[in-house]
Amino acid sequence: MSALLSISDLHLGFKGLSGINNVLHGISLNIAQGERVALVGESGSGKSVTARIVLGLLQETRSARISGAVKFDGNDISAMNPKARAALRGTDMSMIFQDPTSSLNPAFTIGRQFTEVLRRRDPSMGADACQERATKMLGEVSILDPNRVLNAYAFQLSGGMNQRVMIAMALANRPKLLLADEPGTALDVSVQAQTLTLMRNLVADHGTAVLFISHNLGVVREFADRVYVIYRGNIVEDGPTQALFSDPRHAYTRALMSAVPRITGAGLPEVPEVSEDFFAPQISHGGVA
Amino acid sequence: MSPVLRLLLRRLGISLIVLIGVSMLIFTIARVIPGDPARIALGPNATPEQVANLRAEMHLDEPLVLQYGHFLADVSRGDLGTSLYTNRPVTLDIAQFLPATLELVLIAGIIMVALGLPLGILAARYRGRWPDHLIRIFSLLTVSAPSFVWAVILMLLFAFYLPIFPIAGRISDIYDIDRHTGFLLIDTLLAGNIAAFGDAIRHLILPAVALALSGIGQAARLTRANMVETYDKPYIEMAQAYGFFPSRIARIYAFKPSLIPSLTIIGLDFAAMLGNAFLVEAVFAWPGLSRYGVAVILRKDLNAIMGTVLIIALTFLIVNVIVDLLIAFLNPRIRHSTRAT
Amino acid sequence: MIRAIRILAANPLSLVGVILVALVVFAAIFAPWIAPFPTHNGAVVDFAFANKPPSARNWMGTDLVGRDLFSRILYAYQISLVLGVVVLAIAAPVGTIFGLLAGYLGGWAEAILMRIVDVFLSIPPLVLAIAMMGVLEPTLTNAMLAVTVMWWPWYARLVYAIARSEREEGYVLAAEVIGAGTAHIAFREILPNCLPAIITKMTLDMGFVIIIASSLSFLGLGVQPPTPDLGSMVAEGARYLPDSWWLTVFPGLAILIAVFGFNLMGDGLREVLGVDE
Repeated sequence: MSALLSISDLHLGFKGLSGINNVLHGISLNIAQGERVALVGESGSGKSVTARIVLGLLQETRSARISGAVKFDGNDISAMNPKARAALRGTDMSMIFQDPTSSLNPAFTIGRQFTEVLRRRDPSMGADACQERATKMLGEVSILDPNRVLNAYAFQLSGGMNQRVMIAMALANRPKLLLADEPGTALDVSVQAQTLTLMRNLVADHGTAVLFISHNLGVVREFADRVYVIYRGNIVEDGPTQALFSDPRHAYTRALMSAVPRITGAGLPEVPEVSEDFFAPQISHGGVA
Repeated sequence: MSPVLRLLLRRLGISLIVLIGVSMLIFTIARVIPGDPARIALGPNATPEQVANLRAEMHLDEPLVLQYGHFLADVSRGDLGTSLYTNRPVTLDIAQFLPATLELVLIAGIIMVALGLPLGILAARYRGRWPDHLIRIFSLLTVSAPSFVWAVILMLLFAFYLPIFPIAGRISDIYDIDRHTGFLLIDTLLAGNIAAFGDAIRHLILPAVALALSGIGQAARLTRANMVETYDKPYIEMAQAYGFFPSRIARIYAFKPSLIPSLTIIGLDFAAMLGNAFLVEAVFAWPGLSRYGVAVILRKDLNAIMGTVLIIALTFLIVNVIVDLLIAFLNPRIRHSTRAT
Repeated sequence: MIRAIRILAANPLSLVGVILVALVVFAAIFAPWIAPFPTHNGAVVDFAFANKPPSARNWMGTDLVGRDLFSRILYAYQISLVLGVVVLAIAAPVGTIFGLLAGYLGGWAEAILMRIVDVFLSIPPLVLAIAMMGVLEPTLTNAMLAVTVMWWPWYARLVYAIARSEREEGYVLAAEVIGAGTAHIAFREILPNCLPAIITKMTLDMGFVIIIASSLSFLGLGVQPPTPDLGSMVAEGARYLPDSWWLTVFPGLAILIAVFGFNLMGDGLREVLGVDE
């Protein structure tokens, strides 16, 4: 089976006042259809910008310098025009953000936003059909009273409820790829765990591939089939979750795993200090589709 | 009680307190006047007896607090006294001149919103690029001259050099329209006289644009500033991640959350227009409150001055209550202030 | 400072503003030396040259009694700038103290002080000034008084808004904990945080004071002839449109240039000092 998403030798730099500031130094990454892949690293390691390149958002930023190939479903995203890229977003690809409550627009009801999302796929969809589909999707994320939620504004709902809404919206158009950028980090730990389990089951049912971006190893271990570890714009180690966790070979991965996570469980493990070993070449455990 | 109703009552209460404060302020200003108001009113040829009579009538011999009490009692009965200039009740004078001013200000307000907000949206959508820079220069220019300068320039360009619009007045003399509301746009329609309606609109355009210009610039700047802030919010990135068109994101997703903070200031700009209408009316010989106001001021006609200022303050307060209600209506956080979890 | 210069250099519009303001201030200070007809700031009559369009002798033409318009505009800048500086020098401190007290003290003081401010703000600024000039004699001093009275509440409101949010900040709480007095906290801790906004507003307001003052004299309620004033010059010339266009156009442009300069400069200052709009 060919890869749904294949990134090869991706470079990214931002043009600033003092020349180009390089963020990604040629990373490569593959995701098969329906596969759940995690990209793990500290903040600033380049994991979030990778998601934004896949979505085609960073390409619109004038200061961004991007090179390398990003192939989605056989088409090279970097070669597309902005309109074609935008056409993929919200239909074949969708994204879930860190803080669900502030990611929903405060000026519109959940129902209105849901309708807008559904019409990305099918602009002719009527109000009743949208309502019906939204209700069904909210049911899938175990929301018991979908009508109340659809008529509510995000600030009237709890963070966990908004997270479910976001998951429902993200999957409503049956995307092939879901990008999840630190989903639910803003929520408390038990709610986060709950919604992640929900999301895991849903994407498994729908056969949706996921690029899961996180700094939380515990969550990644639960969620992903395969893991890429990213450090300062380089992938340092990759492999099936089981193999990588039981036998971390790269110095940075080992440091990450032996470091003690903060008490909240959501925080980044305290990696001791920068070591020269962290810049050693990528180690691969194989397992790429 | 619904949150909006509660808000309305609260705002009306505050407005009433402010209005009483305004009456005190106006009363204080009026009593600062050097010289004897009665003597000034009657002119230099009046006999001491006449002056004494008028002083008694105006309660000028009583303590200030009592004088204020009389003033407040009269005002609350809707009696603003008699104008020494027209010898008519001030309320009648104001009723005659206010509609022309309100018509001008309302149309200017509509022009301000109709042009200012879209310009602000455009600037925010292309922030940092040339449309943004152009709109910024335009906005700064429009707020950099008093409206009488714009009035003169517009008149010179579009009434004299390019005679597209009439030079002055509200309507051509050939039309004889019955005044029902005092609003010519309404009265001409009531009379079924379409030609007169068009003529009234042609008379309105230059004064209204002159009055609106600085407001357009301010509304555009404000909308842009609020929207640029909104553009940094996660929900805008979410909208981008869902592939909505940039123009749609600007018009809908970024604009609506930014509108609420803009509206308050737009209400204040409207207030400024009530003042600036004095200037524009003077240039275009617009028969509104300004001509009356300046005339009574030059004659030190106290009752008329106090009445005019009070009515303008009242109009402004009413506008602000309306703006607040509009905000409450647009802002779901106020409309649904009871948290439903 | 270096940062300020760099921002100015990167922002050509602000630079234009600084240049315009410098020109206006220079013109006002050195009017007696620059003006081709320095005596024309008073009641001089020269009917031989009355109402002449712009020429090599009179760059901006002459007024109805033959005075050089360019010279009178230079002198009018003097009046405008003095008026602006005096008004702001009084209105800004008064409003600031009002706002600081209301914002920091809270409670009843806040309610009463801010209602007073509301009263002033609920009369359109120009109308309040017009009303005051209605009962006062139209002189320069009274015009300054009227504009000051309508201006201070805006500073009170600005400082109040900042002070109220600063009240909850850690450093204010810390100062309270170590027992600092009210006056110390208000003036030593909170005031410095309001200064950038106040300075920016004062720059922008120089332009707006010029607008309001010229509006008063446009209505015949400000500085009286023969003292040259931009507003009354426009009012006088408006009666002779379109033939004697220079009588209105040049004084009008003079207002536009000065105010535009202060606005551009204030806008740049806002960026340098990091003040929100």
